[in-house]
Amino acid sequence: MTQVIWDGLFVGSFYALIALGYSMVYGIIKLLNFAHGDIYMLGAFIGFAALTSVGGIPASLSLVALLIVMLLSMLLTGVAGVVIERLAYRPLRSAPRLAVLITAVGASFSLEYGISAIAGPNPRSFPVRLEGGVFDFIGARISLPQIILMVIAALLMFWLNTYVQRTSTGRAMRSIALDMKGSLLMGVNVDAVITRTFFIGSALAGAAGVMAGAYYGKIDFLMGFIIGLKAFTAAVIGGIGNIKGAMLGGLVLGLVEAIGSDLFGGQWRDVFAFGVLILFLTLRPTGILGERVTERV
Amino acid sequence: MKFGKRGTALLGIATAVLLVSSGCSGGLLGGGNDSSGSSDTGPIKLGMVAPTSGSSAPTGVYMKNGAQLAVDEINKAGGILDGRKLELIVADGACDAQQAVAAANKLVSSGVAVSVGGYCSGATLPTLPIFAKADVPMIIPAANSQDLVKQGLKNVFLINGTGMQQSTAALEFIKKQGYATVALVDDNTSYSKDITTETQKQIEADGAAKVVLNTSVTAGESDYSAVVRDIMSKNPALVYWTAYYQEGGLVINQLKQAGYSGAIMVADGSVDPSLPKIAGAASEGVFATMTQTPETLEGADAAKWIASYKTAFGADPGPYSTQSYDAVRVAAEAIKKAGNTKGADIIKALEGIDGFKMFSGPLKFTPEHTLSSGGFVILEIKDGKFVLKDSLS
Repeated sequence: MTQVIWDGLFVGSFYALIALGYSMVYGIIKLLNFAHGDIYMLGAFIGFAALTSVGGIPASLSLVALLIVMLLSMLLTGVAGVVIERLAYRPLRSAPRLAVLITAVGASFSLEYGISAIAGPNPRSFPVRLEGGVFDFIGARISLPQIILMVIAALLMFWLNTYVQRTSTGRAMRSIALDMKGSLLMGVNVDAVITRTFFIGSALAGAAGVMAGAYYGKIDFLMGFIIGLKAFTAAVIGGIGNIKGAMLGGLVLGLVEAIGSDLFGGQWRDVFAFGVLILFLTLRPTGILGERVTERV
Repeated sequence: MKFGKRGTALLGIATAVLLVSSGCSGGLLGGGNDSSGSSDTGPIKLGMVAPTSGSSAPTGVYMKNGAQLAVDEINKAGGILDGRKLELIVADGACDAQQAVAAANKLVSSGVAVSVGGYCSGATLPTLPIFAKADVPMIIPAANSQDLVKQGLKNVFLINGTGMQQSTAALEFIKKQGYATVALVDDNTSYSKDITTETQKQIEADGAAKVVLNTSVTAGESDYSAVVRDIMSKNPALVYWTAYYQEGGLVINQLKQAGYSGAIMVADGSVDPSLPKIAGAASEGVFATMTQTPETLEGADAAKWIASYKTAFGADPGPYSTQSYDAVRVAAEAIKKAGNTKGADIIKALEGIDGFKMFSGPLKFTPEHTLSSGGFVILEIKDGKFVLKDSLS
C-alpha cells in the first residue's frame, strides 16, 4: 500500500506542476488554455535540444546539467507562453468565450504539429537520464531521482505561492482575478500582469517537461495531450483558479488513480481519473478549495 | 489501431467535422464507383492509406518508400499489361479511423485499381467497406488484426501474419523456454487486444503455461506504475507486451526499475529501432515475435534489396518496407494474371496465386485470405539491436 501511495504522490506532483498553469490562467482571464499541455511538451523538446547540442555530459554532472537546462527551458517556454497569449488570446479578450476556447485548441495543434514538423514525428530518447539508487522505505521502492524531482517540484510550488501571496505582482494577479475592470480602474497594468501570469505558468510546465524527459526517458510531440487533460482535471478537483487547490488537486488525482488502479487493475486508471472529474463537476463544481461564486447579474 | 486522441476530447468539433466529411464522402463514393479501376489506358493507379502524420508517421514513410521502390522497379522493367505504368498514390490515414476513411474515399474517387495500404488495424477496419463497395481489392501489408478478415469481405487480403499466427509463435516460444506463468499486457487497441486475447486462448487450450494477468494500459502516457505494480504482484516468468514501441519502451524500463527480473517479450508493433533507445539498458535480452525485417534478412538478395532502397531514398528501410514492397509486387502479379484491372478478376487472380516469392516466403492465401504460413520468428535485443534468436522452424 505504501508503494501505491508513493507512486500516486510522485505522478501527482507532475500533475500539480502543470495544473498550476491551467489554474492561474483560468483564475485571471477565465480561459481554459488547452495549449498548456503542449507547453510541457515544448519544454521537454527544448531540454532535449539543449542537452543534445552540448554533447556528452559526464554522469557525475548530469544533475547540474539538468538543472541548468531546466532553467533555460523554463525561460524559453515562459517566452513561448507569452507569445501565444500576445498573438492568439489577447486580440480575442473581449470576444465570446467559445471563440477563445477554439483558439486555444488551435494553438495546441499548432504547437504539436509545429514541433512534429521541426523535430520529426519519431519519439526521441532523452540524452541525459537521472540515475540513482533505490531504497526501501516502509515497503515502498523509492528511487533517488524520484526524490530529487519531487523536491524540485515542491520548491517551485513553494516559490510560486510566496510570489503570489507576498509580492505586488501577486497582489495584482489576485485583484485581476476578482475584478478585471476594477483593477484596471485602480491603476493595475492588466496586460503586463497577464503576460507575467502566462510566463510563470508556462515556465512551470516547461520545468515539468524537462523533468519528465529526464525521468521517463522518452519524449514525443503528443506527450502533452493526456497529461494536459489530467492536469486540467487536477485543477478542477482542487478548485480551478485557486493556486493551492491546483497543487492539492494534482496530488489527490495522483492518489485516486493509484488507489483505483490498485483495487481494480491498471486498465481502470483513467476511468478513475475522469470519473472523479465528472463527480466533482456534478457534486462540487467549485472543487475542494474553490469558493462559491455568486452569479452577478 | 490508435484511436483519435483529439477526437474523443473535442467531441463537439469532431462531430462537426464528421458531419462535413461524411457529407462529402457520399458524393465521392458515388463518383468513385464509376471510374474505379475501369479505365483501359494510362497508368494503373495503386492506392495506399498509410500514416504520414500522427504518432505512427515514421512507419508510414517506410511503407511508402517500400511500395515506391517496387513501383519504380516494375515501371523500369516496362510496366504491366502491354506497357502500362504503375502509379502509387499515398493518402494519409494518420492511424485514425476518421482520417483513414477520408483518405480511402479520396483514393477510390481518384480511381485506384488496387489498394496496397493499411498499417493500423483500427484505422484500416472502417476503410474496408469503402474499398469493397468500389470493387477495389485490398492487399494489406501491415495491419493484421483478425477483425479485418472476420467480416469475410471478398476484396480483403492480408500479407502480414495475423494475430492468431503471432500468438501461435508466442506460445511455441513460451513452451520452448518453459515459462510457467505469463502476464499479457495490451493497450486496448484492435491490433493489440487481438493478440492478447488469442494468446490467452491458445495458452489455456494448451495447458503448458498459465496466464496470471491480462491487463491493458492507455497509450500516450508516460507513467505506467499501475500496470507495473500489477505485474510485480503476480511476478510472472514472462511479460508479453503486445502494443506499440513508444509505450513498450517505457513499460520495459519501468518494469526493470521496479525490480522485475523475469523475461519480457514484445509483439511486432514494438519492433522498432526506437524501442531499445527508449528503454535503455533495460531492453537488453527482450524477446519479440516478428515477421522478418530488413535487419534480420540474410543472404545476397536481401543485401541487394537494402542497397537499392538506400540509393533510392537515402535512408535505411524499416519495419513494413518489405511487406509494402511485396504488396505492390503481388498487386502487379495479380493484375498481370487477370489481364485487366477489374476488381473481380484481380480478386480471382489473387486467390489463385501459389508460390509467388515474397520476403516472408512463398505466397498462398488461405480461404480466409490470410497467409497460409505466418512467417513469425523470435528476435532478441542484443546491444540495442533486434537480432534473430529463433526461427521457430
